[in-house]
Amino acid sequence: MKKPAPATGSTMHDYASSNPCTWCDGCGDYGIWTAAKRALVELKIAPWQVLLCYDVGCHGNMSDKLGGYRMHGLHGRVIPLAAGAALANPTIPVIAFGGDGASFSEGVGHLVHGIRSNYRMTFVMHNNANYGLTTGQASALTWQNQPMNSSPNGIPESTLNSMDFVFSLQPTFVARGWSGDIPQMSKILEAAIRHRGFAYVDMLQACPTYNKFATHEWLLAHCYDAASEGHDPKDFAKARALAVDTQQRVATGILYQTEDVPAFHEHLKARQGVSTTPVEEVKIVDTSRWLKRFA
Amino acid sequence: MTRLSLKIVGAQGQGVNSVGEMCAKGLKRSGYCVFGYREYMSLIKGGHSSYQLDVSADAVRSSATLVDIVVTFNHHGLEQNLRDLKKGGILLHQTPQWKFKNPADQAFIADQKIHVIELPTEAILKKLKAKPILGNVLIAAAVWSLLGQKEEQLVELVREQFGHKKDLLELNLQCIAEGFAACRVIAPGMTLSLPRPDPRWQDHLLLTGSQAMGLGIIHAGCRFYAGYPMTPSSPILTYIADMQNETQMVVKQAEDEITAAQMMVGAMHMGTRAITATSGGGFDLMTETLSLTGITETPAVFILAQRPGPGTALPTWTAQGDLTLAVGAGHGEFARLVLAASDTQDAFDLMPEAFNYAEEFQIPVIVLTDKHLGEALFTQPSFDQGIAKLRRGKLITGPQELASLKSTDRYDPAVVDGVSKRWLPGSEAATYCAQGDEHGPDGSVTEDAQNARQQMEKRLKKMEALQQAIPEPIYVGPKNPETLIVSWGSNRGVILDVLENADMQQKNIGYLHYQYLWPLKTESFAMLSRTAKCTIFIECNHGGQLASLLKLACGRDVTQRILKFDGRPFFFDELRDGILSALQS
Repeated sequence: MKKPAPATGSTMHDYASSNPCTWCDGCGDYGIWTAAKRALVELKIAPWQVLLCYDVGCHGNMSDKLGGYRMHGLHGRVIPLAAGAALANPTIPVIAFGGDGASFSEGVGHLVHGIRSNYRMTFVMHNNANYGLTTGQASALTWQNQPMNSSPNGIPESTLNSMDFVFSLQPTFVARGWSGDIPQMSKILEAAIRHRGFAYVDMLQACPTYNKFATHEWLLAHCYDAASEGHDPKDFAKARALAVDTQQRVATGILYQTEDVPAFHEHLKARQGVSTTPVEEVKIVDTSRWLKRFA
Repeated sequence: MTRLSLKIVGAQGQGVNSVGEMCAKGLKRSGYCVFGYREYMSLIKGGHSSYQLDVSADAVRSSATLVDIVVTFNHHGLEQNLRDLKKGGILLHQTPQWKFKNPADQAFIADQKIHVIELPTEAILKKLKAKPILGNVLIAAAVWSLLGQKEEQLVELVREQFGHKKDLLELNLQCIAEGFAACRVIAPGMTLSLPRPDPRWQDHLLLTGSQAMGLGIIHAGCRFYAGYPMTPSSPILTYIADMQNETQMVVKQAEDEITAAQMMVGAMHMGTRAITATSGGGFDLMTETLSLTGITETPAVFILAQRPGPGTALPTWTAQGDLTLAVGAGHGEFARLVLAASDTQDAFDLMPEAFNYAEEFQIPVIVLTDKHLGEALFTQPSFDQGIAKLRRGKLITGPQELASLKSTDRYDPAVVDGVSKRWLPGSEAATYCAQGDEHGPDGSVTEDAQNARQQMEKRLKKMEALQQAIPEPIYVGPKNPETLIVSWGSNRGVILDVLENADMQQKNIGYLHYQYLWPLKTESFAMLSRTAKCTIFIECNHGGQLASLLKLACGRDVTQRILKFDGRPFFFDELRDGILSALQS
């Protein structure tokens, strides 16, 4: 059902918005924003052929800074919103954007079931390891003992190992990019959008205002392209080990990918052999044939 | 109207429902109108549950407090349900050597001339080498015999159900024969006389409110159902899920109610028709999403199946305590429609309307139902498939019109009725953002004061247009009633049963029934209540929620409220007496 997008030859200009960006100077969102547009252009997807869904947070301020059909919903809830849209019309690529606060605290249940259900959608996790838009509180991914707004002594909990958590859910696509490497992020997003099921993309991003630990410079010094060292994204165990171990260096690129697992909608027995999408099927349905069983 | 009432009681899992449903089906096919009412507890096995059938040759849509026959699967029913019987009633049980030890019970049985009859179920099953489950057929046969019905009708029903399993069918048929034979011994000549049947009921349907609502959802062209189990909304999920292979709908049991609501909204935004159903607690979780649809102007349909609150309260019982919740849920001010189904006809008819209004006005619609409507069994004429029309409002789909759209058409504040053009992702047109922040006409975020004012006014203007579009409440009764009864939801059946009774017909009573509850229509109410000497509100809640809303809207205080909030619906005789005493005071 995934119709190949016609070669419409969209350009970055088609995705441009006249609204000025409102992110801080040096914010990683600029890079992710650019890479997202670039990936769509590279895939020859026109703005009218895509649905971009946004959570609430700094990244959500992207919702009116680019073209495309967009929806800007509630904090923590972007995954089910996007999943519902994707199930209604599996021919439209659906990309959801959310932050680490929304994804690993408020809406962590949705992340669990999004990966488990393997909906056909891309989830871009803007990972700046704090709650930016509410002025720099600690998230579950903030480093332990790091003083933050509203936790001056640092948070007592240990940092949630997001990659270990994600891999425990048997994902079908896991990638990691970082906001300073736009070409790599673009490539990752292209593959994610083409992926058969749920693509989890962790985008490490600089937050110059509130994140004083994993800064742009730190990311630049620690991130490396796993593919350049011969990593095979088909190997689940190696991918997991590589993703989890960030002590010395941080592996980036497509860490794990399998196209062998059908997406959620492909599993639905009720939809086997149906060539239309639920969007195309809206009409008054005659129910007479089912009434006999109540006679 | 002459009614006969029959109550089957036992532990959950013993077969109370299957006997109840089998008898209901048989009686309907014999030409009777049947109303089935279930009571059960929030547990799976054990407990004490009941299935009451009220049977008549005329329309019957309610249950009586006292019954003619109690059939009990276990000894608990002998003790707990003895006093449910009318004078001269029959208590059919299967507990060997049972003796009433309590002197008060003995006196009651003597005074009320109750017939206590034991069906030797165990002995018969042993003789037939049949499994305990076949006791259900045996009991059904005994009931059938006591009702003076023909053995062949029951045989036909059983043949229909087990015809494909020859061995099982044979045993079932033997049980029927044994049941009838046993009754000739234990209850010789004892039959309760049913009125003459009326063949018009034979081609009616027998179904629950949840099944009717499920059919209404399918009829409406809904293609996506997302839900999370919660009584009493679960039977809708079950029905839709069981039907999916035939309807080819996308059905998703979500990880929580927030997910279910979000999925519904995402699917609606993409352009299909989608729905979610829940009960009070689940609806509380959905309210942030409800509010989101207020600002993004996404059509949305929520079913709120009511049960008593607050908290977990009485999970398997009924209430009408969530009207003000539906009217006020969600932060901020936004347009919405609240409607309530009252019976199986409504449950079917209102679903296409719920979707139509949601799309025409680009608003959330909340459809109220309750445990009583959802799980009661109604005798219903076959549904007319030709009434509902698909109305999608200002949804733009034509290529030419799409090409001429501007992004700023999406939330254009200049539209007269507040409803702007809507088009779907994947349409070759200018794009926009369905924006949860306050926004300008194309969905761009702006905190400008004048824009905020304009957009709020645009969105709430829809309420005025909606108020004009929805129908007035349904009125039945004389032109200038002396007494006006006002109600909503599942009370309709029992109210109609009471009012159609001969002694009530002379009392000049009118009945105003609200299906569309918000925005509130006040014209009929104001006109009728002005001249009526007495206005009585009938509601299953503590506060008289509709009465309070109408008081706010009209400034008119009501003289009487008949309220019930113990988890049970109004029973026929109880409501009749309540109305009579209200008329006297």
